[in-house]
Amino acid sequence: MKNRLADTRVFTGIYLGPGVGLIALFVVVPILLTAWVSFHSWNMLTPFATMPYVGLQNYRQIFGDPVFLAALRNTIVYSVASVAIELPLALLIGIFLFNTKARGSHWVRTALFLPYVIPNVAVAIVWGYLYSPIYGPFNIVLSWFHIPAQPWLGSVHEALMSLIILNLWQTVGYYTVIVIAGLTEIPQDYYEAASIDGATKWQATRHITLPLLRRAVTFIVIILTINSLQVFAPVYILTQGGPANSTNVVVYDMYRTAFNFLNMGQASAMVFVLFLVILVLAVVELRLLARAS
Amino acid sequence: MSLILRGSKRSWAYIWLGVITVISVFPFYWMVSSSLKTSKEIMALPPHWWATHPSLQAYSTVFHVVAFARAIGNSFVVTGTATLGILVTSIMAGYVFAKYRFRGKETLFTAVLATMMVPSFVTLVPLYYFFNRLNLIDNYAALILPNIGNAFGIFLMRQFIAGIPQELIEAARIDGASEWTVLWRVITPLLGPAIATLGLFAFVFQWNRFLWPLTVVNTPNMYTVVLALNSLESYTSSVKFANVVMAGAVVGILPSVLLFVWLQKYFIRGVAMTGIKG
Amino acid sequence: MVNKAQRATVSLLAAAMGTAVLAGCGAAPNSTPSASGKVSISYLTLWPAPQVAMFQQAINKYEKSHPNVSITVRSVPFGNLLSTITTDSLSSNGPTMFDIYDLWLPSLAKDGIVAPAPGSYAADISSHYASNIVSSTDYSGKSYGYPNEVDDYALNYNKALFRAAGISSPPSTWPQLIADARALTKYNASGQIVQQGFGVITSWNSGVVHPWLAMVQSDGGQLLNKQHQPLLTSHAAEAVTNLYSQLINQYKVTSTAMSIANASTTGPYLDNFATGKTGMIIMADWWESALESSMGSNFSNVGVAPIPVGPNGTGSHTVYYSWVSTVNAHASTAQQQAAWAFLRWVNSPASGSNGSSAMGNILSSEGIMPSRTSDIAAHQAQLNTPFMKPYVQALKTAYPFPVVFGGDQLTTDIQNTIESVEYGQSSPSAALNQGQQTVSQLLSQYYGH
Repeated sequence: MKNRLADTRVFTGIYLGPGVGLIALFVVVPILLTAWVSFHSWNMLTPFATMPYVGLQNYRQIFGDPVFLAALRNTIVYSVASVAIELPLALLIGIFLFNTKARGSHWVRTALFLPYVIPNVAVAIVWGYLYSPIYGPFNIVLSWFHIPAQPWLGSVHEALMSLIILNLWQTVGYYTVIVIAGLTEIPQDYYEAASIDGATKWQATRHITLPLLRRAVTFIVIILTINSLQVFAPVYILTQGGPANSTNVVVYDMYRTAFNFLNMGQASAMVFVLFLVILVLAVVELRLLARAS
Repeated sequence: MSLILRGSKRSWAYIWLGVITVISVFPFYWMVSSSLKTSKEIMALPPHWWATHPSLQAYSTVFHVVAFARAIGNSFVVTGTATLGILVTSIMAGYVFAKYRFRGKETLFTAVLATMMVPSFVTLVPLYYFFNRLNLIDNYAALILPNIGNAFGIFLMRQFIAGIPQELIEAARIDGASEWTVLWRVITPLLGPAIATLGLFAFVFQWNRFLWPLTVVNTPNMYTVVLALNSLESYTSSVKFANVVMAGAVVGILPSVLLFVWLQKYFIRGVAMTGIKG
Repeated sequence: MVNKAQRATVSLLAAAMGTAVLAGCGAAPNSTPSASGKVSISYLTLWPAPQVAMFQQAINKYEKSHPNVSITVRSVPFGNLLSTITTDSLSSNGPTMFDIYDLWLPSLAKDGIVAPAPGSYAADISSHYASNIVSSTDYSGKSYGYPNEVDDYALNYNKALFRAAGISSPPSTWPQLIADARALTKYNASGQIVQQGFGVITSWNSGVVHPWLAMVQSDGGQLLNKQHQPLLTSHAAEAVTNLYSQLINQYKVTSTAMSIANASTTGPYLDNFATGKTGMIIMADWWESALESSMGSNFSNVGVAPIPVGPNGTGSHTVYYSWVSTVNAHASTAQQQAAWAFLRWVNSPASGSNGSSAMGNILSSEGIMPSRTSDIAAHQAQLNTPFMKPYVQALKTAYPFPVVFGGDQLTTDIQNTIESVEYGQSSPSAALNQGQQTVSQLLSQYYGH
């Protein structure tokens, strides 16, 4: 048995090494380096070891920069709106698809989920054409209802909303499937007991379904927040942050600052600010998840 | 409100199903119909709802403009290798976290889990610098390596392996099996559903990656499908080419769509597993 | 007692981190010369496929007469070019030659990414190009490469719309510009602009800033003074920004909803002009081929005129910029020598036909003005078309876009200033004050005011 123990000790190293080691190398070390760079002035062309230390200057600069502040605000608006719209919609559609006796709902679920698995670069490209004010179909549909043509991505008031709608279309199916999965976990006899007690369907939904979906709901909120705070591709492809910075988001601003302006210090500071926002939200939401389960 | 609840009227249900389907499918429809239009028709005002003279011209053009075949090959190499790597490292680490005992295990596991919260953009600048200094820009290694250690995979595998009875492992050990044999011959064959789930999700995630490949790939020869799509966007300069871009988009999403249609039940089961039981 | 396995794991991690840090700090390895004595060099550009193919033909010709040199060419989209150059220059297998936008030259030269031209090549450059073009290849007294394309801005207008509005000639002053724009604008029942008199470009930094600066320069203004300080609060800058604000808010002849540019620097603003929804717009010559393909036979409706002169202006002074073929300073000596020799050849009449260089032929095929004096002469017919002639004329009184450190960020900062006025987020004076402050701060990092 002693041999066996030695064996597992060796294998602890062998088995953990690649997985944990690669995470340490490609996640933990770079985070620390990003933090380090954020206190320096660096254009990446000079050696890493010789970059000058500038203290909090990068942070002071980004927080004094209206463009970054707009990007931070847009990112938060985008995420809050995504959660506020997608969560209720996923619940509505999920409850509907789970309960309906109409045939073909299985196929509807498939159609709804499909956009989630295709590259969001492709989605952005296609939606760019759908939104096209002149050649796109959306404005024709609006005209059927006597609504004037909209500029969509061309308007400071509508561009961010247009990106939210695009994201909604792509991801709502994923969250709906999570809701449906949560629903299958709820024992049917709860509903039977409720209907014997004379509860209406709305009451059953309100008092049985929604409370028991709390775990799924918290999960959706966390993932949705983390994912939407990182939005990049549709901005990069469709708007480059415009018009007038109305769709500039933190990751896009960071990318431009890093790879076009070669200001790695400020870019790293931007990264850290957003990372902090994500961490705080994730911790708060994880607490909620812990309470729910 | 009651429309959406249990036992709603059939006809209303069909109307809602119809609405959801139309909204879900319409962008796909528009993509395909635009790709079949001629460059003359794509510029018609108001736009036509379908291609009146369907043509495959745009498809032959797109393969001339962008090396799509090469990009699809690159994507398969990168995604396939990374997925395999994730599966192997996750099974190994998951096994240790589930079945071994050593000091600091819980702390290490928590630390690994915490890295799930780290979005990829956080590591972009230093990782880029490293790969550049190592001369690995425009190299498969840059696309594959950083993704192989995967906290979510380790977590998923630990959950699954923890559910495998300890007696099974002990029995194998008594029969003289080495730790290597125990993991790969005894445990792994029982992990079918977990492997399918993790494999699928890793595959889709890697296939669709954008920010990292955009940063470490410069040469068109090394483009993944997503980068080929992106470059297509920058190569076209007028609405006249919308059919070509749309044809590219159709080609670019085809592998994902086929994979999904083929394995949809695993996808849906996987989402349920990660979201609810996870 | 420390568990062995744990210790092993920890040391493994430490080793991995150590390797990473070392790798990060270590010097980039030098390129290895090929054993056979053959020199391999490569050219990085942003040209579309047809021009790359033409360049390849020139390469084939050169390789035949220079069997010791092998040359490859690679193209990336404009949006990726700068980051590709800066990052690839660090690696040993990076391109030997870069096609760069002159605005990037100071930073690339200062950071030692591009190499100054050796004496005989510098002399070759200064004797075959106009002096204002040569100056765009200069950094601190040295020439850094062969100029290739040159672009400038002019007023493009739709003759059919002008005829329909009863206007006989394009505006040459601001009052005419306003009056013509008002006559050209059409609204729908709900007051939306369906045809705009004067178009602007947004969402693309040069597309916003260059036309605006062309107007500023034609009103007697400048972007920067000799000390590299911005002049955003100057009279001319304020006058043009006020004019923009009036066109949008007061006269309602410009619709920002029709102004968007996409990542490939075309998109709705171009579509609106091409489909006759924009009466006039200030744009660079290179969009000719895109317009032609979008408009078909309607392209003959496009008129080109000088930038209208402002009330304080002395004449029309548009903006121009150029592109330069440079050599990677990190390439080996043999590669650099081969690269300069090739660049001299490909830019000389020896490489092309009918007096034009191969480079001149490549640029002309895309509808772009070449910059070598002999190329301009060789392509006279093409430069004399109704579309190109006004651009060539305007070049004579044009000022270069200031080539300074941080040029790309400078352009983006000014874009933000102008867009915040166009979209009604701030008043012209507030926006310009903010912009002045931001740009001053940016430039003082490099020029230490």
